Amino acid sequence: MGFMEGIANYLDSLIGGVDLALFSMAVGGILWGLCVLIPWRDKTEYNQSLLDKTTALIFFGAQYLAVTQFVKIGLKIWLMAATLGKSPFPAFFATSQFQAGLVRALLALGLAGFVRWVLTPHSRSRVHWLWAAGIVAPLVLSDAWLVHGASRLEDRGWLMSLTVMHQLAAAVWVGGVFQILLLWRLKKQNLMQVELWPVLLHRFSTLGAGAVIGLLVTGVPLAWYYIGSFKGFLGAGYGNLLLVKIIMMGMALGFAWINRETAREYFATRGLYALTVRVPYYIEAEALILITILFTAASLASQPPSVDIPHLVAGVDEVLNMFAPRIPRWESPSHAALLAGEAGRTAIVGQVPSEAATAWSDYNHNISGIFLTSMSFFAMLSYNARLAWARYWPVGFMLLGVFLFFRSDAETWPLGPIGFWESTFNNGEVLQHRIATFLVFGLGWMEVRARMQQKQSGLPYVFPLLAAFGGMMLLAHSHVGFEPKSAFLIQVGHTMMGVFALILACGRWLELKLDSPGKNIAGFVSVFALFQIGVILMFYREPLY
Amino acid sequence: MRLMRVLGFGAWLLAAGAAHGHAVVTHNSLKLKPPAANQASEVELHFNSKVELDLSEVFLVSSGDKMQTITARPGPKAGVVMLDLPALQPGEYAIKLKIFAADGHLSEDLLRFFVREPAVR
Repeated sequence: MGFMEGIANYLDSLIGGVDLALFSMAVGGILWGLCVLIPWRDKTEYNQSLLDKTTALIFFGAQYLAVTQFVKIGLKIWLMAATLGKSPFPAFFATSQFQAGLVRALLALGLAGFVRWVLTPHSRSRVHWLWAAGIVAPLVLSDAWLVHGASRLEDRGWLMSLTVMHQLAAAVWVGGVFQILLLWRLKKQNLMQVELWPVLLHRFSTLGAGAVIGLLVTGVPLAWYYIGSFKGFLGAGYGNLLLVKIIMMGMALGFAWINRETAREYFATRGLYALTVRVPYYIEAEALILITILFTAASLASQPPSVDIPHLVAGVDEVLNMFAPRIPRWESPSHAALLAGEAGRTAIVGQVPSEAATAWSDYNHNISGIFLTSMSFFAMLSYNARLAWARYWPVGFMLLGVFLFFRSDAETWPLGPIGFWESTFNNGEVLQHRIATFLVFGLGWMEVRARMQQKQSGLPYVFPLLAAFGGMMLLAHSHVGFEPKSAFLIQVGHTMMGVFALILACGRWLELKLDSPGKNIAGFVSVFALFQIGVILMFYREPLY
Repeated sequence: MRLMRVLGFGAWLLAAGAAHGHAVVTHNSLKLKPPAANQASEVELHFNSKVELDLSEVFLVSSGDKMQTITARPGPKAGVVMLDLPALQPGEYAIKLKIFAADGHLSEDLLRFFVREPAVR
């Protein structure tokens, strides 16, 4: 894969998550206005600032959704030109990707224009909100020709319909959470009456429950169609990412349930404490999880359905074996032995699996696991006031970053013959490893700085944000090759670590934001997640390929 | 604030993986009807989805990973692609596919096969 092809492929893969987030912001925002805000009911309750900010967020989503859709078309053209080495025209004009993509971009642009120039000046008008919904409907439908179901040979109609309804349900939930975060910001700035906060939270909980039911009703048949068996659920990349999505959805639902119960309690007790001191931060954690789910959904879209590759599905015992406890590998093969096996390992014709490459990778993962479990041990000690020095445990991330820089991709600089830039941009996997290395080092550096400084700042929040981004990266981490089963067995450990990285991020975020005892519980959960990542890495064994 | 923007961009960059692709070969004629030595042959590939053949590429890979573009044409029904292989010497080969599925995903696949020595009578 060439330089341009590598970059185009990489960007093409990531833009799906951005697209889904903006789609949710625009579409979910309109449904928020129609079903939660209902601004035409009582003209005195909402101040204009709240309504203006609400429509501004919808406008932002629709506007950048249009931009993202145009960029997606551009990326497809770039990717095709880079892959084929020639212009993809005029054939590309005839594809549904181009035609439906263009229609979708124009509809998003139309929605943005309507929201900016028509809805915003008439934000208390029911008719104008209904008109906005009328524009949203074809926008949602246009996506049907861009999803995997559209390319299937059978059952296209209902696969396309179910996928679009699934996306709509997700947009209602995620878009609503974005609007709630906006509300909280307005409340903090005293731009909104405090009484509105519990009322709107309560109203959204009903809509959100409907969205969850919608997700399940549409998601279950889709999953059954694309996976088809329990083995396909556990033993292939598609099923594995779906499993991860379900776990994360469970986490998001947990927060949503707490928020719903707290809002209900308010109407019994009229006590705002929990609603203002805890709930906003639960919603922030929920938003982080939901965004990660959207990026995982986009990653899922690039996996072949399990039902289509029954001969490449791993057995349950093979999957469990990836997590089985074993003695970590302490000794690395020599660099020379590794390079000697690379030509055979990477050959297409006459491929020879490399024991040295597998051992090299095992050593990297296992030593990284030892780093992380040790760090989690010191992190636990740091909760003891007499062991204050242990609070600098994140320095371990910096050391790990240095270790990974030298060891991640042995065929590249500084150890191997392929140059730094050449390797970074010619190979998507190397690029991901480089970003991960930078991320790990940056994570440690930022957190150590945050723990050293005395005054209040935003620096401590960088650690959970970077950990969440790291989790997203692990969930989208792919070892592209031509051995899908081996690639899956590698992926299965990485996706579980991605989930724990997200737990680590949410836990730390809440530890920083909550009061006791929630703060301490969240901190412990966060450290436990770090320990779990370390354990998975410490026992990691790469399949021979 | 500037730091947060940089981090935001970093996050945007991070959340991606390279595509495996949704379109995969579910059946091929190579196993049931392997190409005979020194004779041009035809290979039938069945995909799980519709493919944009004008925007795809297929290579024959021979010893030393030498690549040669081969002709791919639509088969008798949607999702079926016919490949025209040239006459091949006995040995190991592979067909490397770069396929754009109708859902817009680039799929890469590799089918390894052997051309056997003709049986001696």
